[in-house]
Amino acid sequence: MSETFIAGDVQTPDALGLGWEDGRLNPAALQGLNALAVDTSSDWLALALLKEGRPAANLYARMGRRANRSLLLLLEELLAGAGLSARELHLLVAGIGPGSFTGTRIGMAVALTLAQVTGHPLIGVDALRVLASQARVAEGRRFHVLLNCAREEVYHAPFIGRGKGSAETLAPIRLRDMGELIPELAGEPVVLRRFQPDAPLGAFANLNALPLHHPHPDGLRLMALGLEQFLAAPAGPFPAPEPIYLKSEAFRTWRPAP
Amino acid sequence: MSPLLTLTPGAARPRKAEPLGLAIDTTFDDTSLALLRGRREVLANVTLSQYADHAEFGGVVPERASRRHLEVIHPLLAQAFVRARENGAAVDFADVDYVAVSNLPGLLGAILVGVTVAKSLAWVLEVPLIGINHIEAHPYANFLEHGELPFPLVHLVAAGGHTLLLHQEAHFNWRIVGRSVDDAAGECVDKVAKMFGHPMPGGPQVDQAALTYPPGPQAFPRPLMNDPGLDFSFSGLKTAMMYYLRDLGGEVPQGEQAGPILSAFFEAVCDVLVAKTLRAAQRLKAPGITVSGGLAASRVLRRRFEEASAKAGLKLYYPPPRLCTDNAAMVACLAAYRYEAGRVDSLELEGFPNLPL
Repeated sequence: MSETFIAGDVQTPDALGLGWEDGRLNPAALQGLNALAVDTSSDWLALALLKEGRPAANLYARMGRRANRSLLLLLEELLAGAGLSARELHLLVAGIGPGSFTGTRIGMAVALTLAQVTGHPLIGVDALRVLASQARVAEGRRFHVLLNCAREEVYHAPFIGRGKGSAETLAPIRLRDMGELIPELAGEPVVLRRFQPDAPLGAFANLNALPLHHPHPDGLRLMALGLEQFLAAPAGPFPAPEPIYLKSEAFRTWRPAP
Repeated sequence: MSPLLTLTPGAARPRKAEPLGLAIDTTFDDTSLALLRGRREVLANVTLSQYADHAEFGGVVPERASRRHLEVIHPLLAQAFVRARENGAAVDFADVDYVAVSNLPGLLGAILVGVTVAKSLAWVLEVPLIGINHIEAHPYANFLEHGELPFPLVHLVAAGGHTLLLHQEAHFNWRIVGRSVDDAAGECVDKVAKMFGHPMPGGPQVDQAALTYPPGPQAFPRPLMNDPGLDFSFSGLKTAMMYYLRDLGGEVPQGEQAGPILSAFFEAVCDVLVAKTLRAAQRLKAPGITVSGGLAASRVLRRRFEEASAKAGLKLYYPPPRLCTDNAAMVACLAAYRYEAGRVDSLELEGFPNLPL
């Protein structure tokens, strides 16, 4: 991790558990691989770069709506700092949300375009998997990641801790009704995302909430999950990932004023 | 991060005489991509309309439009190169000399899809990025069709949410001299068509009615037509139709009963557009006028402009129907001039929903 640099005004997230140290990401399989991970689905932009199979950069910064303006400049600086050009990338990893409408689209539009021009694979990873990998959960412990939407709905996925910061997905991400979901979570820790820190959690108040050091998707963890997926089937096929939006169905019930 | 870093990819490259431009337009509900050689050779101009995606709402839902743009823009990009090859031009990404994109005005979320894809392309291909004003691009459909046009020109741009009169004295040297103070003409036509039960876009149905039937006796207003200014107003005309139908009582007329009413209504729209455009040309001493935008596809409006411009001794230009609606070929044409002039943008290019005042 010697070449890692960090931008932003938060502490460096713990870089353990990304797979390089415990052998989940086989260095031989990654040899010579250059990869870029991009996530703009939250207010915090996350970028990570893999150069010749090793993490070369991890950048996260609070961007909000500035992401569209600054993203390409940041990418240029990130790659130039590592002595790479966009055409030298072999693999792209994109955070697919759930996230804000425009924010999620920005990162995915960049990743899809780079993948199309270079002809290299693009792997999509959802935010709940990334956040699960950022939680500190004992091995064998079941836990949940919940991402707050609106209208009493949450995105939910269950995980099980596998030690050293890794987590295995037990079921795919789903949009759930809060009232139905909460009884299922009794006694099991939960990671809560997109809840205001000072706001009362209402129905969530009695849950065993797991704190996250950096409660936003982290670039290197996104990269590690994408690499795991890539190494599991390096020949593909890699269908184009699709974005997951907050309030994905909201517009279906909306009607314009007559 | 250097706060002063601005990146203008490809700016230092020598300009090519016959560059290959790749242009994108996602300003509203059409996703369009074009490949243009030089100033006028359209190798590909592929557009996917979203009308069907929004039909259930009776109007364009901005968020749905943005999502659809992201779903289709990359397949369309691939299709543009396929189309170019079918047209005998063996081109690929590596041959692209600049990337252009409409970055204003329109639906911001939709624009940002095109802008982000364009910036990514310019970056990875290391070629100049050119942000284009969609309204400024509409008249360039005429340059594509007719070649170089003599300046000064007055342009009527009647496109979707905009009805504007532009005065252009040279490339990049233009100003808005008239604009709708409320509804755009096309918007008014679509809304009236909707009152008669026609699906979006209603313009073709209204045009067909006006072509088929003589105008009825209904005295629809010609808002601001006799006002000495060059601004338009179409909201009152739409309201006049609403009150007319209300006062008729009963069911809204259909078929042969509706035809003359729609014809009378469209005559009022044409009267205003023609009168204001000719007034602008005479006042600004422009020997030529152009008509562009979706409404320029109207056969009735074209006929009216042909008659009036001939009478006034003005040269008239309008594009073929395929270049009237939103399309990336017109964006590429304007961008070709920008590329030649070295007027390129940085990767910080942003999208804007509104026209600058």
